[in-house]
Amino acid sequence: MGEVRVIEVHEDVFAQNNHAAADVRQMLADNGTFFINVMSAPGSGKTTLLTALISRLKDKVSIAEMDVDIESSLDAQRVADATGVRSLQIHNGGLCHIDADMTKRALAEFDLNGVDLLILENIGNLVCPAEFDTGAHKNVMLLSVPEGDDKPLKYPLMFTVSDIVLITKTDTMGFFNFDLDKAKERILKLNPNAVILPVSAKTGEGMEELESLILEAVQKNQ
Amino acid sequence: MELAKVIELKESILENNDQDAQVLRDELKEKKICLINLMSSPGSGKTTTLLALNEYFKGKIRWGVMEADIDSSVDAQTMLDAGVPSVQLHTGGMCHLDADMTRQGIRAMESHIAEKSDSEKSGLDLLFLENIGNLVCPAEFDTGAALNMTILSVPEGDDKPAKYPLMYEVADLLVVNKIDALAVFDFDKERMERDVLTRNPDMKIFYISALTGEGVEELASYLIEKTKEWNA
Repeated sequence: MGEVRVIEVHEDVFAQNNHAAADVRQMLADNGTFFINVMSAPGSGKTTLLTALISRLKDKVSIAEMDVDIESSLDAQRVADATGVRSLQIHNGGLCHIDADMTKRALAEFDLNGVDLLILENIGNLVCPAEFDTGAHKNVMLLSVPEGDDKPLKYPLMFTVSDIVLITKTDTMGFFNFDLDKAKERILKLNPNAVILPVSAKTGEGMEELESLILEAVQKNQ
Repeated sequence: MELAKVIELKESILENNDQDAQVLRDELKEKKICLINLMSSPGSGKTTTLLALNEYFKGKIRWGVMEADIDSSVDAQTMLDAGVPSVQLHTGGMCHLDADMTRQGIRAMESHIAEKSDSEKSGLDLLFLENIGNLVCPAEFDTGAALNMTILSVPEGDDKPAKYPLMYEVADLLVVNKIDALAVFDFDKERMERDVLTRNPDMKIFYISALTGEGVEELASYLIEKTKEWNA
């Protein structure tokens, strides 16, 4: 076995984002809105999961959804069509994440009055979105079974900043070599307070638990 | 039906990376090293694909891999264990590599090769840069590579070319991986190909399963041919 050489290649791109995040939190507090930021790699199933979750929650709380994409409007339309809730498509012109200032600008055009739960579907990316506070109360991330159980090792910040980690597409567990215990252990090592929940939007596994989790948080916020 | 509202947000970052990348590409051409920049989402199977290709590269070309990651050395270790010269590049949280970072990696790779025993000290015909798992940022930065290669795995869905268009515009080669999982997922090959070819009519598309080995030999032959063309 050879020895691995590690070369550090640094560049500082961190931007100050805290002021805008505080403004977003104030807007949310004024309206009694609970805000979750949903992040994952491309194709982990954010839109599918949110569509299923919103359908379960929409008669219990008032929901609005924001979808960020580089240029297509596929997701916001999918969510709006499937659930009937108010959905806003944000185009960020090729940027790899959404920060608090962008959230603030989007919210300025979005009446939060009467909205109990605001959901942001972030850009599919495990790197950049983790670095930017959007002003959300909770960060929720998805790790899908086909991506593999080694992702916490490779994208540690995302797992560190997420309050809830959803292991999605659990219906494909038999097909892929995914060690759930190993994944949980790696996540908890980075973030001992993470709530980890295996779910499948397809079979419904874990969806009731997720629904209760979010509902409880929304009610606590009010 | 409620219509989705669209708000355009934009931010720009200026770089002099394109010029730097061209200088690097010329240097590599001179040195007869074919650099391939491999990009994809996290978990599409970049490392597994490289391992599968090794079976067909062995004895035919001299090749190596620069593994870029934010943290961890698992990928470079995997390649080394398979007997492929490899170095791990850490970006310190950065979401992509640019030409200058790539150049730092190549230097490290060259000294890694130079440290080997005399019999193995034979240089490289083909060098892979396994970029950070990310469909957005790496697409924006020319690394100086001869070829850009991207992987789309079946579980990610057929809509990725529509959602991450730049990646599919800058790539020369698209490898659709995990085709052994086609039965488990709804993946419309025709739709995917249409979305890709609309943006990039010259895209070369391969279908493989790095796990079962299906389609890998054809991909390997193509890459060997491209390496020889570049180094001629």
